[in-house]
Amino acid sequence: MQKYILKRILYMIPVLLGVAFLVFAILALTPGDPGSIILGITAKQEDIAALNAQFGYDKPFLIRFFNYIKDLVFHFDLGTSYSRRQPVVNDIIARFPNTLRLALMSMALSAFIGVSLGILSAVRQYSTLDHILVVVALVFASIPGFWLALMLLMFFSLHLKWLPSFGADTFKHFILPTVTVSLTSAAGLLRLTRASMLETVRQEYIRTARAKGAGEKVVIWRHALRNALIPVITTMGTSFGASLGGAIIAETVFAMPGMGTLLTSAIRQKDVPVVMGATLFLALLFSLVVLVVDILYAFIDPRIRAKYENGGKRRE
Amino acid sequence: MKKILAFLLAACLIAGLTTSAFASAPDLVIAVDADVDTLHPSDYSTTIEINILNQIFDTLVYMNPDGSEEPEPRIAESWEISDDGLDYTFHIRQGIKFHDGSTLTAEDVAFSLEMYQASDYQGANVDGLDTVEAVDENTVVCHLSSPFSPFLLGVSACHIASKAYHDAVSEEEFASNPVGCGPYVFVSRAAGSNVVLKAFEDYYGGAPAIKNLTFKVIPDTTTTAIALQTGEVDFAEIDSSNLVMLERNPAVTIADAPTSSFTYVSMNLEKAPFDSVAFRQAINYAINREELVEICYDGKAEVNSNICARSRFGYSDSQPQYTYDKEKAVALLAEAGIETPYDLGTILVAEKYQNIAVVLQAALADVGLNTTIRTEEFNTYIGSLTSGNYDLCALEMTLEGDTQQLELAFTTPWIGMANNARYSDEEMDALFAAAAVETDNEKRGEIFNQIFTKAQNEAIYAVICNPEMLFAYNASLTVPAFVLEGYYYVNQFAWA
Repeated sequence: MQKYILKRILYMIPVLLGVAFLVFAILALTPGDPGSIILGITAKQEDIAALNAQFGYDKPFLIRFFNYIKDLVFHFDLGTSYSRRQPVVNDIIARFPNTLRLALMSMALSAFIGVSLGILSAVRQYSTLDHILVVVALVFASIPGFWLALMLLMFFSLHLKWLPSFGADTFKHFILPTVTVSLTSAAGLLRLTRASMLETVRQEYIRTARAKGAGEKVVIWRHALRNALIPVITTMGTSFGASLGGAIIAETVFAMPGMGTLLTSAIRQKDVPVVMGATLFLALLFSLVVLVVDILYAFIDPRIRAKYENGGKRRE
Repeated sequence: MKKILAFLLAACLIAGLTTSAFASAPDLVIAVDADVDTLHPSDYSTTIEINILNQIFDTLVYMNPDGSEEPEPRIAESWEISDDGLDYTFHIRQGIKFHDGSTLTAEDVAFSLEMYQASDYQGANVDGLDTVEAVDENTVVCHLSSPFSPFLLGVSACHIASKAYHDAVSEEEFASNPVGCGPYVFVSRAAGSNVVLKAFEDYYGGAPAIKNLTFKVIPDTTTTAIALQTGEVDFAEIDSSNLVMLERNPAVTIADAPTSSFTYVSMNLEKAPFDSVAFRQAINYAINREELVEICYDGKAEVNSNICARSRFGYSDSQPQYTYDKEKAVALLAEAGIETPYDLGTILVAEKYQNIAVVLQAALADVGLNTTIRTEEFNTYIGSLTSGNYDLCALEMTLEGDTQQLELAFTTPWIGMANNARYSDEEMDALFAAAAVETDNEKRGEIFNQIFTKAQNEAIYAVICNPEMLFAYNASLTVPAFVLEGYYYVNQFAWA
């Protein structure tokens, strides 16, 4: 198991280098230079050139990339933001906690709603409740996030005055963004859990379990659910990894400074060090989350655990 | 299911009981739609940065942003301009304190103007300045290389910073922890979220009425409109799309500020048929500006086909105006030798100008000119404009400050930058050069009159309107009437 984890961690190095090169290349290929974006159309050409030279943006692409990687590997330096003239690390430190908090809260809420209602829906297939849940899930999966966010704002902040309309200071500030993010993803999880459960309960081992006289609860919770959860966990893992990149809509509407708005504004301003720093940080986190999910499989499914423990050979 | 519902309801109840986020009297919360990148006194680039810096830093003199009114003394108690227009002498008010307690001297003023001179960001504020010297404790002389009339207006926008503070701290600290002598002291900043200031009790102009001032970042304009109504925000610039919702609320006051920004259609004069004056006049007559303002600005813009705003120095009603006249447009098209229907090419826009392009497309189609619309990402779009890689485009531009700034849209050296039409004319270049060195205001006004009459006669651009800036604020807040460009000074605000 340890050997496997170590190998996976080492694999991350080429992945991160690849990500770095791709993002750097895309930024270099898109039009515009940081100097003229910061100073605007009314600036003098020599001021723009001076600013670009100050950023080192006047050098060729490969040299810039090489310098970036050199600073990163040998000095652990993510560089300095072009527009803010401050270390990129400061931006990440200021914004990542909000993003992480929102991601954790919405994953918890959406998993709770999605999985529990998904099971309920599957167990009572074709009942009225099932039909209602399927329709509601379809509605929430199709609602645009920004519309939902604005409706929640109008209702809970403007009319009821229960919750603050913007900011990220207290727990209360996180309620509406969490609900916005998790309702959409909960709908997806509900549909996935339901489908996966329905497939599992048709398996022969479930019939066997029933035939040996196991109660309905045991059949569903011990036999069906554990098998049905594997695709659900995979989806949750990747979507959690993705949500660490920030929830752009929720961050924008609820004025919550997070990684999503940091990245989009940096891309627009062609703030290369910020885009690179944030992307590499997120790529690293994403790889780690995927690794954790893979390890989780082992705990849920003894068959997979056995595979790791025997170095790939199956125990008969 | 029931348990979840009960839990959610309980959570909402608790949240509801503890909500009391209304601002107490001496405090003010201003919403801004983007974070500041820096609080450096001279190396800034956005309007939000200017508005925050204006509370922290003071200037030598205050001038209405278009220079249309007499300058008012601030840090400089009085000033003289030598007869040849080359030397500006400022007499510094005595006993002005910086926020760190040190006293402001002529040395600090000279340092600040030199800092602007070296700035890649706002160097244009001291255009014309050759050298600056602190003659004694309270006198500063600026030497110009040649007479330059807009000099005083440019200097009036320069924030005066402390030399001793600059020399004592790192560049990063100087930019992130500003020390000025303005009415508000910098307290703290949370990246992406807020900037907190507090009243400077020793401000030479008197301590401000509002004691704690917070700028909060809210990127979405609808959220700002909601926060204004819940009382979480007291003052903000708003988008016209939220006007209807806010106007209905008696707790919110709406005010507008005129701006010198202009919305316009630029034609690439290097391409036929845009090189024909008659053709450009036809385009000018084909656009129904009132209708466009109604559709694209919810009526909140002043119709004006002149690039010079009405309140700006140099504007005159005697300069020609274009109004919607379909028959004239059709006749002029015939004069230009255009047989309609004619395929005119592409209207290039960035996403935010798309609705203008749609209205323009319909107006042109109405006189027999067919176009297609192409939308580009903003930076790509600006790249296409500046490189002349377009036929026809629509955008908004701000060339604020002295009317001289409008040379950016008309003169040869600015082709490839703000001169989108790629207009090049020796007479026009000479007129702007003459306006720059003319020190007699009346004569200078006459030169501008010639410039704008010429620009209108040749229909260099098809200017549409000057958009207004809209502000909304708590009805119990007293805010003085907005000047051009909508800059505000919170020490002039007060709670009723």
